[in-house]
Order: sequence, then structure tokens, then C-alpha cells
Amino acid sequence: MQQKFLQLLLIALFVYALTGVQGIDVPRPRGVSLVKAPLYQPQPDGKWNCIDGSKTIPFTQINDDYCDCADGSDEPGTAACSNGQFHCLNTGHQSVDIPSSQVQDGICDCCDGSDELEESQCENTCVALGAAAAIQRRNEAELHMKGAEKRQEMINRGKQLKADRSARRSELNARIKEQELLKTEKEHLKATAEALESEAVEAFKEQQRELDAVTAQAEQEPQQMRQEASLTFVRYDTNKDGFVEITELMVDMNLDRDRNGVVTVEEAKYFLDERDRMDLDAFITLAWPRIKPLKMLADGLFQPPVPTPAEERAPQQDNTKDAEQLDSEPTEEHADMDVPDEEDGEDEEQYDDEEPDVGVGEATPDVETTTAAPIYDPETQRLIEQANEARNAYEEVARQIREIEHEIKELDEQEGKDYGPNEEWSVLDGECYTFEDREYVYTLCPFDRVSQKPRNGGAETTLGRWDQWVGEGANKYSKQKYAQGAACWNGPQRSAIINIKCALEPRITSVSEPNRCEYYYEFETPAACDRDAFTASAQSQHDEL
Amino acid sequence: MRCSLFVCLIIGALFSYGAGVDPSNFKTCEQSSFCRRSRKVQSSGSKYALIRGTLNTYSDSLTADLINKENHHQFTLKLEALVGNTFRLQIDEKQPLRQRYRVEHALKGKPETTRISVQESDELTITAGTSKAVIHGDPFRIDFYEHDVHVVSVNAKNWLYFEHLRQKAQTPPEPAEGNDQAHQQQDHQDNSEEVQPASEPIDDPGAWEENFKSHHDSKPYGPQAVALDFSFPAAEILFGIPEHADSFQLKSTSGTDPYRLYNLDVFEYVVDSKMALYGSVPVLYAHGPKRTAGVYWQNAAETWVDIYTTETNVVSSLVNFVSGSRKSTPPVAHFISESGIVDAFIMLGPQPLDAFKQYAALTGTHELPQAFALAYHQSRWNYNDERDVTSVSAKFDEFNMPMDTMWLDIEYTDGKRYFTWDKFKFPEPLTMIKNLTELGRHLVIIIDPHIKRDNAYFFHQDCTENGYYVKTREGNDYEGWCWPGSASYPDFFNPVVRDYYASQYDLSKFKTVSKDVMIWNDMNEPSVFNGPEVTAPKDLVHYGNWEHRDVHNLYGHMHLMGTFAGLKQRDPQQRPFILTRAHFAGSQRYAAIWTGDNLADWTHLQHSIKMCLTEAVAGFSFCGADVGGFFGNPDSELLERWYQTGAFLPFFRAHAHIDTKRREPWLFPERTRAVIKSALLTRYSYLPLWYTSFYELEQTGAPVIRPLLTHYPADKEAFAIDSQLLVQHRLLVRPVMQQGVSKVDVYFPAIDDKKNGDYWYDVDTFQRHERAGYESIPVTDDKIPVFQRGGSIVPKKERQRRSSKLMLNDPYTLVICLDRQGKAAGTLFLDDEKSYAYRNGESIYVNYEFANNQLTNRFITKPLYKSDAWIERIIIAGLGYVPIDATITAKGISQKLEIEQRSNGAIVVRKPAVKMNLDFALKLNAA
Repeated sequence: MQQKFLQLLLIALFVYALTGVQGIDVPRPRGVSLVKAPLYQPQPDGKWNCIDGSKTIPFTQINDDYCDCADGSDEPGTAACSNGQFHCLNTGHQSVDIPSSQVQDGICDCCDGSDELEESQCENTCVALGAAAAIQRRNEAELHMKGAEKRQEMINRGKQLKADRSARRSELNARIKEQELLKTEKEHLKATAEALESEAVEAFKEQQRELDAVTAQAEQEPQQMRQEASLTFVRYDTNKDGFVEITELMVDMNLDRDRNGVVTVEEAKYFLDERDRMDLDAFITLAWPRIKPLKMLADGLFQPPVPTPAEERAPQQDNTKDAEQLDSEPTEEHADMDVPDEEDGEDEEQYDDEEPDVGVGEATPDVETTTAAPIYDPETQRLIEQANEARNAYEEVARQIREIEHEIKELDEQEGKDYGPNEEWSVLDGECYTFEDREYVYTLCPFDRVSQKPRNGGAETTLGRWDQWVGEGANKYSKQKYAQGAACWNGPQRSAIINIKCALEPRITSVSEPNRCEYYYEFETPAACDRDAFTASAQSQHDEL
Repeated sequence: MRCSLFVCLIIGALFSYGAGVDPSNFKTCEQSSFCRRSRKVQSSGSKYALIRGTLNTYSDSLTADLINKENHHQFTLKLEALVGNTFRLQIDEKQPLRQRYRVEHALKGKPETTRISVQESDELTITAGTSKAVIHGDPFRIDFYEHDVHVVSVNAKNWLYFEHLRQKAQTPPEPAEGNDQAHQQQDHQDNSEEVQPASEPIDDPGAWEENFKSHHDSKPYGPQAVALDFSFPAAEILFGIPEHADSFQLKSTSGTDPYRLYNLDVFEYVVDSKMALYGSVPVLYAHGPKRTAGVYWQNAAETWVDIYTTETNVVSSLVNFVSGSRKSTPPVAHFISESGIVDAFIMLGPQPLDAFKQYAALTGTHELPQAFALAYHQSRWNYNDERDVTSVSAKFDEFNMPMDTMWLDIEYTDGKRYFTWDKFKFPEPLTMIKNLTELGRHLVIIIDPHIKRDNAYFFHQDCTENGYYVKTREGNDYEGWCWPGSASYPDFFNPVVRDYYASQYDLSKFKTVSKDVMIWNDMNEPSVFNGPEVTAPKDLVHYGNWEHRDVHNLYGHMHLMGTFAGLKQRDPQQRPFILTRAHFAGSQRYAAIWTGDNLADWTHLQHSIKMCLTEAVAGFSFCGADVGGFFGNPDSELLERWYQTGAFLPFFRAHAHIDTKRREPWLFPERTRAVIKSALLTRYSYLPLWYTSFYELEQTGAPVIRPLLTHYPADKEAFAIDSQLLVQHRLLVRPVMQQGVSKVDVYFPAIDDKKNGDYWYDVDTFQRHERAGYESIPVTDDKIPVFQRGGSIVPKKERQRRSSKLMLNDPYTLVICLDRQGKAAGTLFLDDEKSYAYRNGESIYVNYEFANNQLTNRFITKPLYKSDAWIERIIIAGLGYVPIDATITAKGISQKLEIEQRSNGAIVVRKPAVKMNLDFALKLNAA
């Protein structure tokens, strides 16, 4: 194929040389490019061969608005062959081939208007377009030029960072060895102090035994509540980020307090004490007391005061079954539940008022009845304090070791990341960029994560964590992928593609969601400015002309 | 994900994904008290008789009184003869406590009646033309004859069941004892204080109120069911009563639930099911080798239809053959409706096409659509914003694939407030629309009937202030849940509301669209997420004080009337295009339909043809299914085959759920892309045939797509075939609808008992199939088995364009396939493809005929449309020789034309270049 093209090119050049024609005035049928002109010469008998050689037709049947050749080559200037090509010369701008389907259809596709027979209907916009394109190219070249300088800075800094990381790694290796030694020493001191402490405390405790027996029982009940609450917490926390969020609560139709078929944001917020999300501890103390009564209600363990008329109206009910159905068919549930109908608003309010009393009583002891530390005799107290000091000293060393280990891990992770052939992307690691649209604030922290947060408050959702470079072929460093984001409702885990362009300042220019839960960022940074690559691509474009 | 949290919750919450519909969310006959009661009559039978001396005869009809001999309640019967072998039977209470609902707006007008003559002896014999009705007095029954062949009986099984309106008893009914005595004393004229006999519906716990799941139906008017049986002595199979995801041939309901007709939004419906779907068209046909008849049961309330057929199988037909009996018992259909009256049209054929046309004469046809509506539609829930729309449109050009229409689902709106736009995603809709229309493309946007209850929304304000919403029993505006959250539903039964609704489409009000933007009416069953069976409660009150119970199946139809009027008022010059999901008899006059929310799976692909064939004979030729399947992600092969199938259904649209992966053709590998492109080009090449077919549908009522039995009524083997369809009587289509096959069995139907068939020519190779029966046809990825009938001429346009509008002036190709006599004929209709000018004669309607080696044309109407189009080539298959050339003579000038050869002996006459409005004769010259 390519060979054939070269041949054509040679023939064209040959014709050029032979005829000495300047410019483009080689006679040829409409829609034929200069390069292909030599293929459209009649044989001495007035016949002509289709370019694929499949057929011989009279030369006069070229562009006679009837498709004779299987390859469409006899109708370069009409729409007769569906597989044909029309060549727009577009003097002043870029020549292009358009499909025959666009020839003579009333729409000006070539900027010189040559695809429509009545060229007067089309304005020739090639010169203007050509000039605009030239300016655009110049601007882009300039951008890449300036951008490349900034990129060079980034490369320098990136290389420096790499060196720093390496140096730091060696330093940490040395430090961790020191600390390990120190740790062993402190551990020994701690053991000694603790032995003394333990002896003294045992003696003291002997006296306190009876008292302890009483307090132990008091602790058990909150413990059970804690367990229940934790289990529920884990169930709600579907994205496993350690927080229960509004959206996660909205799934549970048990929480549909006004029984209108949907758990609204307001309803969910009520359970979260008007917050957007809660960690486990807050959940246990604040949310669980509110949720528990509804759970019990759904499980049929708890009967709120129900006015008699409503009971009459819904005689055959099976609470257990209804509770099972809730997840799959919440629209049906609200009247299925053993609660008053909507009309009985008054009673419902009454029930709401009572609600907090049901569970709160169990949660409060945590705060109020925390047993105060016993008062030891002075000698025991001294030994305890010594032991505490030893423990603290040991903990301090252990903590430092953990910190160092953490830093080493981070360094190793960074070392594993691909910051580009020249480390030019390295400086972006640790930065974060945001983009706001109407509903959300989108964040991109390169080499770490992308996320989305509603503008009107609410929890942040992770759209993806750093995965890899995914640009095609030579453009590997033009696209990043972030994967394993928070799971969508009944859908896949969120992910994002970052398309990167050259600009002088780093910024996100747009964010969209072309597929559900698959995000697409347009991001600009000088790191993507590459003078050499740009010049090369511009050159190859030019060659095609 | 970007859908609003609420919508996500509703979707997620309502239904669990992937499992398909949960049938327990929908009623069975046993759970529906009127169905339960009416069906019970099948075991006991009823006792109705004509009352002697009450007969009144008129020029075109007669009336008489009818009595229920068990409770002595009286009814009035009216039998009317209509033009075109059709009778209309109406039975209502003689003195109802309250008027009973009679369906309005379904018929296209008042049916034209015809003269009758009545002979009275033991029976009453009513003759009208070649048809005849014989009424037997006691037990009451009517037999209908066509040319003296008994084709339909009414009440032959004595399953007539008519619950008269009654006062609610003050106390719960006593047990049955004593009722017999009371019955004997009963004066049958005393309606109000009547004591019920043992079998009366008042015993049924669901007679005066009913619960389903958590929903309560107050039933203030008590039991009011109507039911009647129809037997078809000349028939072997029954078909019709869409919409069901089931075979074309109706199956016996013995031992199963009846087929149900109740417009419902069924999420992830399952196939091979008698469950109700989005539309209800209560027309049923009965077909046998010699006779076809039909019954249109005009009732808009919830309806169940029991079917009793002796399912023909090898054993039974063998038994019949041996015993010499033609068959045992005739097929029976038992229609059961919750309220209203008996209003049945008995259509006597005698041939299938006659029956289809008789039904079309009653309820009308789709009018000639604009050409773009028959081309390819690209849809998705949702194209996210203007940039998305623009780039999808541009991609079709980049890949050189034709596409006519982009669709926007609900997310384009400002918070599901119809007649508004999301100003952020679509800041410049008019510019976006212009960019499409400049390429000859169109935009269709969705407008659903539910109205967001938002006090700042003008539409809600107007409807609230003016009382335009459907009311609860207590007289308040009904509130349900749908896409916008809390929503109310305009009462389209009120003409004032329809006018208001129609006026909203006016460009002076809806300023952000152009008159080229067309409309998609979805969710109009109506869909109510928190209502009983996902629709409106039956005790809502409509205009005229009718209960929703009476009119439910008409709600979508009335919605369409509003939309259609709106589009016509908006631009009287342009033919409206509307797509609807809910439909009733007659809705075809306003809108095209699709088969709703199907699944990306092979069985749903197969059902797209079955369902559309049934819809087509029930008036809805303009039918299609979501290409690719709405839910789920089709693999390449399924998508390819779906495009190929969709290319041969009248409505051709790809659509997908918001949770599915993008599936525009270029997102698939090159191989798949090529197959899809080829299917698209095939569709576009046949647009002149589709267009002509729709013109002829409007003119004659003959369906555009047809089951084989339409033209091969005597071929019993063809009766039940629903994997193949005919496009008019010109093409036979048997798309590949199975995974991984390298051949398909195509059935070529027989024209007589000796297994003679028509000639069928493969449209790609011109290979001829001469024998009737099954033939195994090899298929490749890009093969769509399509055959042109010998004897037909098919007009095509073989040039490729970006959209159908840009093809308007492109030249035609005529494909002539010869029959055994070397003859063929076929029509072509053309006009401006957009306006109503064709109704003033600005069209070209021509019949081409080939015989004796000569092609001639005959203009059926005066060719007044000025077209730049011309005939590019003429392909002739089945000639048997190769002419040396051809001579065309037009306007007195003759010219020689070249002949080229194609495969299997087909020839091409090169470039006749005659304009479409000219008379010509073209003669083949043998060597």
C-alpha cells in the first residue's frame, strides 16, 4: 500500500518536472488530488481502467454520476460510489479527502466549497481558516517553547527530589538501626519497672476485689450495645472508608421516618446528628441510639404505641417478612410496616417524640459512670508512676521507629512510581488541584487520588487511586488512570482518566462522566510541554500536505 | 455517578438489579376480584336470554332486551352492521344505577354503518352484504357467518357475565341460606333492593373493597365486571391482544393465568409471559386455512383474556387426520373487564389482510411519517450535555455511518421539570439543535406526563390553580412518586387540560426548541413508583367523574392526543413524530411505539420481532425495540445481530440504560463496527420501500410488517412462525437471532397444498429459492437473511449519505425479481418527506410493472410533486438470459442503455436516468 503511494508520488513529481507546470493546474477530473492526477489519463482508444483494474470503461464515464468501478475510482467528483473519496484542494489551507457521501448533498464540507457543484452556495473560507490555523500552530509552538522551560525546571527539581529521596533513605536506614538498639534498652527498663509495679498493685487490688466484682457487671451492658452498634456500622459503611455517610444511610429504608418511600438527606442527617459522616465512636454514641429503635421496629422487637384504628385497617401482617422485603422493594414497604398510615400524622409525631428515649438511656452510662481511678497508697503510687515513665519512654522510641518505617514505606512507594523518563512529573506528587462545576468540587492529587465532593457540603467520594499511565504508544505520558474508587450504587468501582495537555500553569480545565462512574479530567501542566515532540508532530503533519 | 441522589435511590430501592421482574409485584387473576369472579363462570355457565317482544329493527341495526335468568336483571343489546364485513355488538344495563363508562377517542370516527335485513323465526337472522348474524334467544347466543361459513360465535360457551351496578348492602351479606326463597319472590324490575342469589358477586370479599400488597382500593361502586366469550369455528390459531412479551400465536391459558391487558411499567420484564406490559390493544384475530376473523373488545378498564385452543401438535393433527375430524373444539377467547360495557366489534375477514384492514378502518393508522422517523435513531439515557450530543453526532460522520436523530432522555431537564432545560448542561439548546438540523438531523426529547410538585414550576402552578390534575376520591390533587419526586398527573381526559398541554408545545411558550424537535412520551401508563402495581390507584377520579378504573388503559392515549395536537398547532406544515410507551387501540394515529425496557439478551432480541408482529396486526406497524437491549451490556455479537434485526423493524432506535456501558458503534472493534455500518446502510438503502409501505398503510390499513400467514393463509406450517416477517408482500426477513450460528433455517411459505411456493431471491446474491419449506441458509457475521419475492419490485436508494434528509434528491434503484411467469410489479411513493402537501396531491405514486421483457410505469395519482430524483439503475433477477442492451423511451425519445451482469444471472440496466415524474417504457433487447 505504502509502496503504491510512493510510486504515485514519484509519478506526480515526474509529471511536474515534465510539464513544468507551476502550482496546481494539472488537468484532472473533479475531486481528484494532484498526486492521483496521472491515474486519470485516457488510453489512446478513449478507454480507462478502474484504478483497481477490475473494469475498463469509456473515459467519458468518469464522473458521469454512475458508479462503474467496484473501488469507486470512476466517480471521484460525485456521490455515485458509496466507497469513493473526494479531494478538497482547499488552497490556502489544508487539503483533505472527504467521503463521497458528503459530495453534492447541500452541505459545504470543503473550505473551498468544491464538494458542492454550485460553488456559489459555499463561501470559500480556506484563506481565513489557513491563517487561523497558522496562528494556532504558532501559538502552540510558542506555548511548547515556554512550557518546555518550565518543564526543564520540573525536571531539575524532579531529579533533585529523586536524589534527596535516595539520601534520605540512607539516612533513615542508619537512624532506624540506632533506634532499634535504643528500643531494646528501654524495653528492659520498662520490664523492670513493671515488675515492681505489678507486685504492689496486686497487693492493693486484693483489698479492692469485692468492689471490682460489682463494677464488672455494670460494664457488660454497654459492651453489648457497642458490639451491636459496631456491627451495624460495618454494614452501613459500604465503601469501607471507616465512616458512615449520608448516602450510605439512605439505602436503609428502615430509616424512612416519614414513610414516604424514600430516605431523604434530611432524614439521614438526623441519624448522623446533622453531620455528613461519622466514625465508629461517634456512631456508637450519637447515631446508634437513634437508629436502634427503628431497627427494633423493623425486626418486630419493638412496638411503638399504635392507635387502634390503624391496626384494624391492616390486619394481616407479618413483620419478619416485611422487614426482609424492605431492601428490595421499599416503595411497597411503607404501608406494610406495622405503623400508622400517613393520615395519622398526629400519632406519628407522638411516636417521634418518644423515639429518643428508647435507646439513649443505654448509651449515656458511658459518659457518666466512668469509674474513677482508685486511690493507691503513696508507695504503690510511686511505683506506678515510675512504671508509667518507663512505659512512656519505651513507647516514645517505638513511635519514632514507626514513624521512620512509615517514611521509608512512603519513599519506597514514591520510588516505585513512574515519574516519567526525566522525573518531570515528580514534583506533582504531593500537589492537589481542584475544579468546581455546578454540583461538585473535583480534586486531583497526582500520583495519589482523585475525588469528588458536593459543593453544598457532604462527604467526599474517592473517584480513584493512582493506578498507572495509560496513554497510547509514544504518548504514554499523556493519560493517567486512577482506579479502585468508591463503589457506585449497584455499579462498578469509580475510576478516572486524566487527559494531560501542555500549558504554562497547572490546572484542571474540565471534568465529565462519559460513562456512569467513569470520570474524565482534562488537566494541563508544563510537564506535558515537549518542544521536540511538538516540532516532530508538526513536521509530520506538514509532510502529509 | 451523576444522576440525582433521589433518582438513584428510587431506582436502586424499587428494584433489585439483574434478577428481572418480581411477578409477585403484579396481580394474578386470583388476586383480582373481578377476574376471579368472572372466570368462575367458566365452570357453571350463565343464563341469559332475549326477552320476547322487545325487538326493535332499524335500517342498520337492531335492539332487544336481554335478561339474566338467575337474578332477573335486564340489559339492552344493540347489534349494528358496519361497512366492511363488521358487526358491532353493545350490551349495557337497561337501567343502570349510574351510567357505565363507554370508551371514547379510540375509534378514529363514528363507524360507517350499512343496511341490514332481518328475518325473524326461531332465530333472528340479520344479513348485511355477504355477512350474516344469527341471534338465538335462549340461551342467548349470536353466530356470525361470512359467505355462509360460520366464523364467530358470541356466548356459545355461556360465559357472558355482567355485574349490574347495585347499592352496597348495609350489613355484610348473610350466608347463602334463604337466598333461593328470596330469589323466587324477586321482582326482576326492582333493582335497588334486590337480594342476591347464592352465586352473586357480593359474596366475594373483594366486591366492595380490595387490597393488594399495601394498597387499598375503595371500590365505591362495587362489582361491575363484564365478560363475554367468543368462539371461532373456522380457526386454528388465535393471535393479537398486545402487549405481551410472548409468542405471536396466543397460547392456551388453561391452567395458567389469562393474558392481562393493563398498562403497567414493568421493570425488567420477562419473556414468554402473559403478564401485562405498557400497552393494551384488545383486538384478537382467529385464523384458519380458509377464514380469518377478529374481535375488537372496546374496553379501557383492566382486562384479562382467557384463551382456549387445542394446541396443534403432530399427535393431535395425526389423530384428526386418522379420525377424519377436522378438529375437536373451536378456539375460544374469553374477555373479562373490570367495568364499562360490552362493546365488541366482530370483523369477519374473510382473509387476514381483510381483517387487519377492517380493524384499521375502525381505529385508524399512523399517518405517513417524515422520512427521518424511519431512519436510524441514536439514543441513550443519557447524552450528558451539549458537548456529548455534538460529539456523538460528529463521530457518526467521522466513521461515515448514517444517523438521523439524536435523543435526549430525562436528564436534559431542569430537575425533571418538563418543558425546561438543565441550563448548565444545556446552556444553548437552540445552537445545539441547529448544529444537528444543519446536517439534516433531528432531535427528539422526552416529555413525560408526571409533573413535579414544585410551587416555583409554572406547569405545576397552572395545573394546581386550574384544577388540571387527576383527583383523589376525596377531591384533592393526587400525589404520586416518579422521576421528579413528588408528582401529580394532568387529567388529559379533560379537553381543557389537553388544550393547555398542547399549547405548551408552542414555540412562543417552549422557546428553547425549534419546530424540528420531536417528542418522546414515556411513563404514561401512568407510571407511579409508589402506586399499586407501579401505577395510579383505581379509585382516582377523572374528568366527567369517571373512575381511573374505567379509563386506565386510555390514559397514555389521551396524553398522546394532547402532544399530537400540540405539535400540529406548533407547525401545521410538519408531520409530528411522537414515540410512546403506553398505548391503546387507536394510539397508532398519534405515535410510534417501542417495546419498552427490554434486556440485552438473545431471547429479548427474538421477542422484538414476535412483539412487533403482534403490534403490527393490532394497528401499530410503527414498532421497534431498543437496539442492543435497554438493560445490561450486549457483547459484540449480540449488538451486531440486534442492529441487523432492528434494521428490518419499522422503528429503528438504539437505546440504553444509564448504568450500561457506552455502546456507540465506534466503541467496538473494527469488525463489529463494519457489521453495524453495513446494517445501517442496508436500512438506509431500503428507506424508499419503508416510506412507500407507510404511505400504503395510511391509505389502506395494510400493516407494514406482516406475519407469514397474511399472504400464505392456507399454509398451516407458517401460522405460528414468528422468527420471520414480511415487509409488505415484498421482502421476507429472517434475521439471525441466535448466538454463534453459521446457518439459520428459513421457512419459505407455500401458496398451495402441493408445497408450491413463490420464488424468493436472496437480496445480496440474487440466488433464487424455488421450493416451499425450511431451507438452511448459511450466514456470516454481516449476513442478514433477507429475500425478495419473485413478482415484486422494490425501490431503493443505494447512495450513502449522513442522514435521510440529504438523500431526498438522490436517484433510485429498482430491484425487479421475476416470478414464474417472468413478471413483477411494485409501487413507489415519494414526496417532500416532511409536510402535508402530499394530501393535496403533491406526490408521486407510481406502480412499476415488468412483463414481456419490458418495464413500464403507471402513475396511480397525478405526479404533481417536483422531484430532482431519477432512476439510477434497474436490477432484474430471474431473467434467464442476458440481454445485449436495453432501450428506454421517454417523452418520445429513445435511447440505448448498457447492461451489466451481477451474480446468479441478475442483470443491471445502467443509468436509465429518467426523472421520477415521467412516463417511460424500458425494453430489454435479446441478442
